[in-house]
Amino acid sequence: MPNIDEVKKRLTDKFKGDITNIDQPVNNRLFVDIKKDKVKEISNEVIAMGGRYLVSVGYDRLAEEGVLGLIHTFSLDKDSIMMALRTSTPENEPIESITPDIPNAGWSEREYMDLLGMKFKNHPKPKRLIVADDWPADVYPLRKDVPWNLMPPPAENVAYELDKCPEGCTVVPVGPYHPTLHEPAHFSVFVDGETIKGADYRGFMTHRGIEKLCQTQLTYNEIPFVAERICGICGSVHATSYSQAVEQAAGLKISRRAEYIRTIMLEIERVHSHLLWLGIAGHLIGFDTVFMQSWRVREPIMWLGERLTGNRKTYGMIVVGGVRRDITPELKEDILNVINKIEEELLVVKNAVIGDTAIHKRTKGVGRITKEETIKWSLVGPVARARGVDIDARRDNPYAAYDEMKFDVPVFDDCDVWATVLVRIIETFEAIKIIRQCLDKMPNDGPVLTEYLDPLAPGKHGLTCVEAPRGEVVHYLITGKENSPERWRVRAPTYPNLQGVPLMLLNDQFADLPIIIGSIDPCFSCTDRVDVINIKSGEVQKMNRHELEEMSRKYKK
Amino acid sequence: MWLISKIKQVLLVAKPGVVTLSYPFAPHPVPKDYRGQPYWDHHKCIGCGGCAAHCPARTIMIRDVCQELRVMMYDGSRCTYCGRCADVCPEDAITMTPLYEMATGDKNDLSETMELFMATCHRCGRCYDHETGNSIDKMRNIGYRYDSIEMRAVIPKTTEQLDLNVLKETENFKRPEKK
Repeated sequence: MPNIDEVKKRLTDKFKGDITNIDQPVNNRLFVDIKKDKVKEISNEVIAMGGRYLVSVGYDRLAEEGVLGLIHTFSLDKDSIMMALRTSTPENEPIESITPDIPNAGWSEREYMDLLGMKFKNHPKPKRLIVADDWPADVYPLRKDVPWNLMPPPAENVAYELDKCPEGCTVVPVGPYHPTLHEPAHFSVFVDGETIKGADYRGFMTHRGIEKLCQTQLTYNEIPFVAERICGICGSVHATSYSQAVEQAAGLKISRRAEYIRTIMLEIERVHSHLLWLGIAGHLIGFDTVFMQSWRVREPIMWLGERLTGNRKTYGMIVVGGVRRDITPELKEDILNVINKIEEELLVVKNAVIGDTAIHKRTKGVGRITKEETIKWSLVGPVARARGVDIDARRDNPYAAYDEMKFDVPVFDDCDVWATVLVRIIETFEAIKIIRQCLDKMPNDGPVLTEYLDPLAPGKHGLTCVEAPRGEVVHYLITGKENSPERWRVRAPTYPNLQGVPLMLLNDQFADLPIIIGSIDPCFSCTDRVDVINIKSGEVQKMNRHELEEMSRKYKK
Repeated sequence: MWLISKIKQVLLVAKPGVVTLSYPFAPHPVPKDYRGQPYWDHHKCIGCGGCAAHCPARTIMIRDVCQELRVMMYDGSRCTYCGRCADVCPEDAITMTPLYEMATGDKNDLSETMELFMATCHRCGRCYDHETGNSIDKMRNIGYRYDSIEMRAVIPKTTEQLDLNVLKETENFKRPEKK
């Protein structure tokens, strides 16, 4: 178990000439400036020390220094250290890709090919990821000289080249709209009979450019409200993570009471999110009793949110420096009553469904990937914990008031969707436990909002994580001029987990696809139509639900 | 195992019974501090522009049509009801009402426009007293503002003195369009 000085020593010993500077603004954060030739070696060294890849951050410094900046971030979970490897490259010089060794970096690197025009050597899949297919190839939207409201003219007849279907397989397109996907996303699934043999993904169809918008148009204290709208389910998570990043960059210490209130809000959100997911998971496998009953149990916590914050979701509670509303003694009582009731009712739901063989048959052994693969692909949250990877940002990199909380982190070795269900149910009970501890230990006085008096200096870096219901959220912030950030990078938990989905689908039945994709946490939209492509003739046949039903009945006979 | 599970499920469903609320046939009251439609009290408003500078959705527009007249407009059609305007208002002129039934066919039903008579010294935007405290809350657009009321767009351009040229320039503001 290396401590932070040992990590520093090991890096400087091994890469003496390649590390130009090591910055340690707070105890458990390391910002290491490295030369660009050694990016791959040093990244691999961090992984060898027990690091887990988080996300990469690219930013534009062309006007100031004539370079594009690139930051790879890692978390050493066992040692509670988060570190960032910072490097930069001139506009036209390629940088070594770390994707061949760390597959999860694939999307981040593709993102900066699209958004900043960076070039990566040896990237295994240098395809378009973020921008639309008809976006002009020479416009890099995250560069500062591109205006935030640029609207290039649309182009005709452009389409994304999906991966080639393996020999003997058939393509089944799932999406762009599909009942199991909570946003427009396209999975091209390669099937051999009913067995899935591979999948390609084309998403980012709702890419809204929130980072660019906030960097150019909004000020520090407006961003939490936009951050909250990144996700409709775990909004406070993003607002907290962003606010913590600003506070860390500014060196602002917020009041303990505010930290406790943040913790309560995050855990309330976890309870509601897990209950919502449990319902959806039940719905996806056709077990609607679970769906109805867990959503019934969930409803009181939505009303509680309304009483606490004034809104049933998108609480708008968290701003830089603390929280907006206080929790009065009456509200405290209210929270206790609601969570007691939920705990009681959830136990009834759990006992009623946990022994049902229908659930076991649909989830056990489904979406199986090994622990080693999970670590290699840097998957996070319940998806990772269900596969034996013992990580939880609340315990590993404590923030808010989690350092004083006592709770268990459920970890299972089943490596399938069933374990994900168990992890989430247990976490809901743990969340209720944490809320009780918070209410018990919360300091009774103190301001809920700490004001920051000096102007915020530009060029400071902040790196924070928050354990969202679905996994770990990472925010990276670089402060800028004029009261708004120069760069703000958000990594939602689905970003790494979705990259692992093709692996989870492999060799599973096609009928299990909804619950496998659903196990990383979706919402749903609706369509009743599938495209069937005949590979040999290339003929596309559109079928509606009625025709499909007819066909399946015919084949069943 | 299977049968016990099914019996438990029947009890689980039967015990709570029907929980559907009778809304919209019966009113559904909201809690005390609910963040519903915001309301501007023009008697209290001093026209400091704090709400407009802090609105994350940019729904509050200010246009200084001449030295003494400041037009303020709230466009509820894209409001997120975060209630930040009510928080930062130094005069408590904004309150979040419990109204939430706001579906309408006409955007203008949700808008509120105020024409405020301004004494010259009140125009600088510095009468906004939160400015001196939290530097993270600092206002970026201070002074005379020229947002487009017709297009309902915030124009990020301010001047210390009323500039008739900017006023004219921004008169026919158009949002960018796809060509």
